[in-house]
Amino acid sequence: MTEQVRIDHREVMVQCFIRAVQDNVNLVVLVSDSTSTAKIAPFQEKYPDRLINVGIAEQNLVGVAAGLSLGGYVAVTANAACFLVARANEQVKNDVCYSDMNVKLVGLNAGVSYGPLASTHHAIDDISIMRGLGNIIILAPSDPIETERIFDFALRYVGPVYIRMDNAKFPLLHSKDYQFELGKVDVLTCGDDISIFATGSVVHEAYAAAQTLKADSINAEVINVSSIRPVDKKAIFDSIRKTKKVITVEEHSLHGGLGNLVCEIIAEEGLDARIVRLGITQGHFAKAGPREQIRAFYKIDKNGILETARKLLRKG
Amino acid sequence: MSNEFQLPTDEIAKKAKEIRKKIIRMNSRAGQGHTGADLSETDILATLFFRILNIRKNNLNDPNRDRFILSKGHGVGGFYCTLAEADYIDESLLMTYLQFDSALPGHPVRQKMPCIELNTGALGHGLSVAVGLALSGKMSKRTFRTFVLTGDGELQEGSVWEAAMSATHFKLDNLIVIVDRNTLQLGDRTENIMALEPLADKWKAFGFDVHATDGNNVVKFTETIEGLDMCNSRPHVVIARTIKGKGVSFIEDKAAWHHKIPTGDQIKQAIEELE
Repeated sequence: MTEQVRIDHREVMVQCFIRAVQDNVNLVVLVSDSTSTAKIAPFQEKYPDRLINVGIAEQNLVGVAAGLSLGGYVAVTANAACFLVARANEQVKNDVCYSDMNVKLVGLNAGVSYGPLASTHHAIDDISIMRGLGNIIILAPSDPIETERIFDFALRYVGPVYIRMDNAKFPLLHSKDYQFELGKVDVLTCGDDISIFATGSVVHEAYAAAQTLKADSINAEVINVSSIRPVDKKAIFDSIRKTKKVITVEEHSLHGGLGNLVCEIIAEEGLDARIVRLGITQGHFAKAGPREQIRAFYKIDKNGILETARKLLRKG
Repeated sequence: MSNEFQLPTDEIAKKAKEIRKKIIRMNSRAGQGHTGADLSETDILATLFFRILNIRKNNLNDPNRDRFILSKGHGVGGFYCTLAEADYIDESLLMTYLQFDSALPGHPVRQKMPCIELNTGALGHGLSVAVGLALSGKMSKRTFRTFVLTGDGELQEGSVWEAAMSATHFKLDNLIVIVDRNTLQLGDRTENIMALEPLADKWKAFGFDVHATDGNNVVKFTETIEGLDMCNSRPHVVIARTIKGKGVSFIEDKAAWHHKIPTGDQIKQAIEELE
């Protein structure tokens, strides 16, 4: 196998910011001493007046962004997801969502990106928290191409958007002509035997697992749910009705995330299906340590998904 | 651009009386409301809307208009009555205050009404958003001013001081914070719950251009606002000393009237005192 090029999603994001300004989007990017977290330097060099650093003050970060949006700017906040959703929760709720401001909230280094830095730095509840709020779109890109498409969309969409971001480098899952469509799922592989729904960077793990299953003549349908709200209920329903066996994969608590979302569809539609949700154990903080080991522990890596799929298929 | 009314101070004081009567009638009819807070801020709102803010009915979406944020969102009753008195909203709307799905809920909602910039009610939010607005004015070289009215109890929120620190850092001399300093909060005196004094020193330490005035005296309040040096590279704070429940003897300066409403003979007496 040839070594694929791997790209940091944040670098893609920053290029989208630069291109948006060139494209006359009246953009302003806010950080909370998170210039390095956001890898924002190339943007800062080009447009120093469009970067605002509020210091280590997440509540002010989000409030000031709302005010800049009132003043006619497309305001983007870029800081670690763990601090954004927890520390600035009420500002997100009231100043952005309830007040319907044109603010894009980027949750950097979400999930257990910060592996060994432990639970203060993990964001395994951000999807759940954002799904609990009204009036906000929730997106999670899986690869560099999708990251670019999602930012290109979000920076031109008017209204609150949350984008869940990773801190690692990833290879391409999509071709250059991939189109992101709000409220649609992205079917990476079609199959009749089992449906695997994943969101964010663990889509790579699901895809890799499906490739291995294929060698065993098992056809898995890997569906990337990058648009978490609005979500493509029909596509999820159709896939489950076809395969009747479902795995959900997320680097997130099993409470309130993708797994819950899929269960809601199964229950509400009365689908006859078996489902296994993979993610961080409900009601627990995630283990700390190297990220690969955390993923292995919660079976949200390729091997964990494989093992789960085989077990589920054996049950018939 | 200029204020639609540009009233002299004696006329503003008359408007304030009319607004207070509206507050008493509206809250009594609704059966709820933050009567003490509404009456505390009335002279400040009347001065802003009948003289200071450069807004008019035909420029309420103009990017160069002055902005006002009611950070003490529970004072929305006084705000609605001011907007009705200034004819920015139809007076008949006051009949719907707090009713199901009304345009006039118990905290301001910007989607429902002109002149509301932010959905407040949770305390300690207005100043950060005002900082963002004022910063946008500086960045886009617009000359509008941003006014934010905060309660005094609200200053116990840490987010206020994050915002204050940044207002000075960004040199926002186009930002005016008005503190409705009535010394009462929900449960008791601010100084008994969590002391704010020396309040002026706190703002000074944060780099603000600090002024103190009588927030229930239209002449003094107007002089203070109009006397601000808007080119001094520092954000301004006006600590407006007020009496919670101002204008009605039995409501004045009583913590219990934070969200009580007048009933029966009290309504008549209140209106008589305001005539």
